[in-house]
Amino acid sequence: MKYLIVAVLGLLVGAALAGVVLYFNPFSVAAAQPSSTGRVLHYTLPDDVLELALGDDAKIFGQATGDDALWEETIDRSAVLGLVLNNDGNQPVAVASRLMAVSPDTDLLFRGVLVSDHWLVTIPGEGTLFVRADSNTWPFLKETLVRIWYLERPWQGPAEYWPTVGPGADDAGVVVGVAGNFRGREGRAVERYELTALDRASGAALAEGELHLDLPGPQVAAQ
Amino acid sequence: MKTLILLTVVLGFGATLAGAHFAPGVTYARVPSHTTVVANGGRSESFLIRLPADRIAATDGNAGGMRALHAAGAMQLPAQLMDQPVLIEHFKVRDADGSVVGVAARHWSIDAGGPTTVWSLLIPSRGSVVLRARGEQRGAVDAALRAKGYAVGKTWDGEVRVAMTGNEPGAVAVGSGEFANLSGTYTESWTLAGVDDAGELRGTIELATVTRAPEASAPE
Repeated sequence: MKYLIVAVLGLLVGAALAGVVLYFNPFSVAAAQPSSTGRVLHYTLPDDVLELALGDDAKIFGQATGDDALWEETIDRSAVLGLVLNNDGNQPVAVASRLMAVSPDTDLLFRGVLVSDHWLVTIPGEGTLFVRADSNTWPFLKETLVRIWYLERPWQGPAEYWPTVGPGADDAGVVVGVAGNFRGREGRAVERYELTALDRASGAALAEGELHLDLPGPQVAAQ
Repeated sequence: MKTLILLTVVLGFGATLAGAHFAPGVTYARVPSHTTVVANGGRSESFLIRLPADRIAATDGNAGGMRALHAAGAMQLPAQLMDQPVLIEHFKVRDADGSVVGVAARHWSIDAGGPTTVWSLLIPSRGSVVLRARGEQRGAVDAALRAKGYAVGKTWDGEVRVAMTGNEPGAVAVGSGEFANLSGTYTESWTLAGVDDAGELRGTIELATVTRAPEASAPE
């Protein structure tokens, strides 16, 4: 009996140590960084949100999903987000649809909690871009969901995140020009966002985000 | 005893990390794919959208016409984009049997080359695919309904079919997962069966795709 208790305690201690390793996760891939020559589209949350539909199992902060809930079993860990994107002068220049789903490639040890993020960005008068990115949400989740929501610790913000970890070369996202001036072009994309305010009591959060696009050709480089 | 402690700690540590690596538990329910092989060797598959049940939202810009009328579910564009020739719509997507399998975004816009429609479909259990076609003329659905007797503010029942891709099919632009590296074509048709007095459309959107995998290189 003594040996059994020791064995169980040993397993629990080992699992707890592994939990600490996973929390800090020194093995996860580094996030991609943007090049210096690309175009940057900006958004702020919640001001630039046109619409958000969440899957029933994607409501990590207990949000209400309203009439647009994605309740079906095949899409219950998905989300649909409509966004206005702004130029460097904070003028609205594009509309984006983001179709997101928790990725089956999620690997808590080496890659993180991955979300497959599919952007369709239309810039009126210029064309349409498709961006596919794997976003590691673990740094955000552990600092907000775990620390603030569950442990009820004070928020230490603001906090900056670079979630893009693939699937393209050098762990950047992939951008493909689908229509208009962008058609036939391919490049890389990286997202950055900064959580500027977070209040657990009211459930309010403010964030500023950027989509860095590096698509060879004068159309994208021009502002 | 020390050996037992050490062994169980290592075992607990290793098993937890292995579980985190191999079994994070992210899988999606999948329904069987309803595909058929067509005469030229391609694979035919249709995706359906039932209106109004599957419409998640649409922008409220002036380019949307009836498809952007409703306050409920409208994505309210900023003033700077209201008059731009752009219409964004979000839907749930069904397979040919009517089961919801994914979500989709439809972007219609006009650029120097004319109207363009781009669909992005995400089927979490299978992957994503982007479709591109020459877009319908602005207000095509409204015009087709009016030609069949629809009047604004009145209910309308009947049947009208609008071929949104016209005579020229669209193309598969890019894909991932099961749709990676596929080439192919698609057609988009809207079959409308009614409009209520608030202008809400009833009907079905069908995306009929014919895709082909890249040919394997011949063995030497």
